[in-house]
Amino acid sequence: MSVLIIIFLTAIAALFAGVFEKGKFSRYISIIGLLVAFYVSFLPEAEFFNQYKHMFEYTVNAALFTKIAIVITILLFFLGGFSFSNHRSHQSELYALMLFSLCGGVVLFGFQNLVTLFLGVEILSIPLYVLAGSNKTDLRSNEASIKYFLMGAFATGFLLFGIALVYGSAGTFDLYKIHEFSMENSKDFMFAAGAVLMLVALAFKVSMAPFHMWSPDVYQGSPSLITAFMMSVVKISAFFAFFKVMTIGFQGITGEWINILGVLIIITLFLANVMGLAQSNAKRMLAYSSVSHVGYLALIFFGLNNLSAYNLAFYLFAYSLATVGVMMCLIWVEKLKRETSYNAFKGLAQSEPIIAVAAAVGMLSMAGIPLTAGFMGKFSIFAQAIETTPFLVLVAVLGSAISIAYYLRLIMVMFFPKESSFNTSERVPLTYNIVAVFIIIALLALGIFPDLFARQFGL
Amino acid sequence: MSYLLLTLLLLPLVGSAVVFAWKNPASKFLALGFAFAQMFLSFYMLANFDHTVTVDGVLQYEINYPWSQFIKSNLHFGIDGMSMLLLLLTNILTPIIILSSFNEKPGYRNTFYGLILLMQFGLIGVFTSLDGLLFYIFWEVTLIPIWLIAGIWGQENKKIAFTTKFFVYTFVGSLFMLIGLIYVYTHSASFALTDLYNANLNASEQTVIFWFIFFAFAVKLPIFPFHSWQPDTYTYSPTQGSMLLSGIMLKMAVYGLLRYLLPITPDPILGISGQIVLVLAIIGIVHGALIAIIQNDSKRLIAYSSLSHVGLMVAGIMASAILTVNGTLMIEGGEGALVQAFAHGINVVGLFYCADILYKRFKTRDIRQMGGLAKAAPKFAVLFIIIILGSVGLPLTNGFIGEFILIKSIFDYSKLAAIFAGLTLIFSAVYLLRFYGKAMFGEGDDRVLASAEDLSGVEFSVLTSLAVFVIVLGVFPQPIIEMVNSSLKFIFSSMMN
Repeated sequence: MSVLIIIFLTAIAALFAGVFEKGKFSRYISIIGLLVAFYVSFLPEAEFFNQYKHMFEYTVNAALFTKIAIVITILLFFLGGFSFSNHRSHQSELYALMLFSLCGGVVLFGFQNLVTLFLGVEILSIPLYVLAGSNKTDLRSNEASIKYFLMGAFATGFLLFGIALVYGSAGTFDLYKIHEFSMENSKDFMFAAGAVLMLVALAFKVSMAPFHMWSPDVYQGSPSLITAFMMSVVKISAFFAFFKVMTIGFQGITGEWINILGVLIIITLFLANVMGLAQSNAKRMLAYSSVSHVGYLALIFFGLNNLSAYNLAFYLFAYSLATVGVMMCLIWVEKLKRETSYNAFKGLAQSEPIIAVAAAVGMLSMAGIPLTAGFMGKFSIFAQAIETTPFLVLVAVLGSAISIAYYLRLIMVMFFPKESSFNTSERVPLTYNIVAVFIIIALLALGIFPDLFARQFGL
Repeated sequence: MSYLLLTLLLLPLVGSAVVFAWKNPASKFLALGFAFAQMFLSFYMLANFDHTVTVDGVLQYEINYPWSQFIKSNLHFGIDGMSMLLLLLTNILTPIIILSSFNEKPGYRNTFYGLILLMQFGLIGVFTSLDGLLFYIFWEVTLIPIWLIAGIWGQENKKIAFTTKFFVYTFVGSLFMLIGLIYVYTHSASFALTDLYNANLNASEQTVIFWFIFFAFAVKLPIFPFHSWQPDTYTYSPTQGSMLLSGIMLKMAVYGLLRYLLPITPDPILGISGQIVLVLAIIGIVHGALIAIIQNDSKRLIAYSSLSHVGLMVAGIMASAILTVNGTLMIEGGEGALVQAFAHGINVVGLFYCADILYKRFKTRDIRQMGGLAKAAPKFAVLFIIIILGSVGLPLTNGFIGEFILIKSIFDYSKLAAIFAGLTLIFSAVYLLRFYGKAMFGEGDDRVLASAEDLSGVEFSVLTSLAVFVIVLGVFPQPIIEMVNSSLKFIFSSMMN
């Protein structure tokens, strides 16, 4: 709760800083505020903030995910500054909106009540509708904003209807009481229908096929930094909420929804990877890759054990770091070339080796090559699920086998030509190189010493 | 003593980091220095290696540290005779391969040497790890450097296509192996090798696992229907890439077959699976050899000859394995395969290098356009024929003893199979001598021959050192056979119960 308040105050401060200066100032304020929030998230929760007993709980898992989301947001703020939007004069509002969205994420990490869940989802999403359209002169950005808003509204409708049905049968919004209800009344039809509707709504939010239709367009149309934010922080928040609702609230009726989820996973893995293969634009390819990762992640629902939440956190952290690494490269290329087709990346490794290596390590991590964090993440999820559903794991493996082809394509374009196509004398700013080195080290360190993460986050 | 192994493992990694960082044309000497240090270290370890121990004490130089509290996997390394042999192969060939590139044009050369050393690190990890997950990780670590070598320095107009094909093929193969290993792991206490051996799997589970794990090895070797990446990759990679791939990297799969596949899943070998593999391997032998005969591209010819030779190794291993699970302990197939793996490594590196030398003289890989070089380059003619005869398997060369043991072990299983497998001896003589004859004798392009030079210093030293191995191991193969004996006995006897 105190973390939430600090982030909220930081957002307000960043917003008002825009009155005095154009963006730079509010960026520093945001980073400092987030660092404070990161520090506070390690402290035990003060008694004063602990009185919202049945609305918000700051559990170990909530703390873990909060830390991850804050780290990723800080990294993204380090990258901020250009290519953010073509309206340089309105930078501070964008930082503030990202922070408000992060507030929604933190609410989702700690919700204990379906009302809080709904609030969290909305606080997370509404700033994003604006952020997606922040490149006001770009048609694609406007399209992204409208599309995201309409689809988000649909998802909200499903979510509310689902919550209503659940409330109608269980008579409570409290997650743990719903848990007890589900354990006792496993045959309640209305309750199960509510669960399935909520599943659909949350599948919309995490962009799981076939409810992913909005995401490639939105991810492509939004300014790249916002896309990176959506792919990482928003995905972490929405997926953890998804995980918590389904595994705690509807644990008793797992049989009712698990098969639906299995089908969704198969569709997601197949569709996203095949579509990713067909793309000629790197940003769109990454959008499909982002959808496919939801497919691997959702395997976490099979063969649950007491390490599942930790495995989920590990995978999401690895994936988000990798995303920041690749998107950073993309932001730079987009700034110089004004486009993001594969050819735009030609020979990047010759002129900017550090960020090219960061992107390559990121993509190898997404593909699950050993010695990167992505491999350990995939490994632990597969090892957990293989006992109960070997078939789904096989599908996931085939999916990642397809995915390697499109990641490789981008790496090849960056590394294989001997001449660089970047003829300008402009070099990446120092902050980019710092973030790149951080990402390379973090991905390799987590891949080689997987326990590092557990120790760092108090497990 | 375990510090020796730790040094052996980490030296190439440190070397590759240093070479990567040092952007200087002289970095090639540094890389060579690291490779030589590594070679002498492994000779030193060989000198202190105890060959005479019994089955129980085969592991030496063990390192064992806990790795992760969530994954029951340890950083467990150690060497037995089989590992020792392949370590030697790696550490002898790496300096030779580095040396062989000394005459190439510079151009990001420090990256090139850094990648070779990184590859060496991965290979040593594969050959020494005693933990399933570690094995898989190192198995993949070797893939990235070789892919970059092939991609950055490969033939310009083809490289996107063939490198993608190569990477996707091998990556898919290894993913299946990973799934197989994870499944075994969920039924055993940990990823430790002995636990994997003792996992309680029923026969049908074992059959599925067998094919999953086999698929990875089949792609890497490659075995007959999974080989379509191989000719392209061997042809269009830079020569050093082809040498690394065929000389050392495919031995990872021979090693994996013996160390992982056979002991973890002995049951399917008793059924029909083992026989299917045997048949596929023999088809590969004949198929590869027949295509090599009609091949005019020199590197492609070597690629198909490699397919044929590898098929023989797998056939030998499977023949002995089938006999063993049926109740008669036979280790000859494994012995022959390992001896042949060592010999094939030396020979194929030599063949690729000779093809490279010919390419430099004639500016073409088409053997129909070559001819008459023997007059202009007599030193090359002598060393080339030694390498060729080694590959053909002439008695008193290193190729002979392995092929002999392999064909004998196949003969013990089935006479018919041995007849087909034995065709490799005849066919390899046909295509390799045709290759030699076309390139070295007959009519050649006079302008080329007038300006053709004999071997340069680098070329001479590389080919001589390879030729020495061809002859010495041909005359005196016994140490190699003794080295692998006890570890093979352990592996094959563990299949019996």
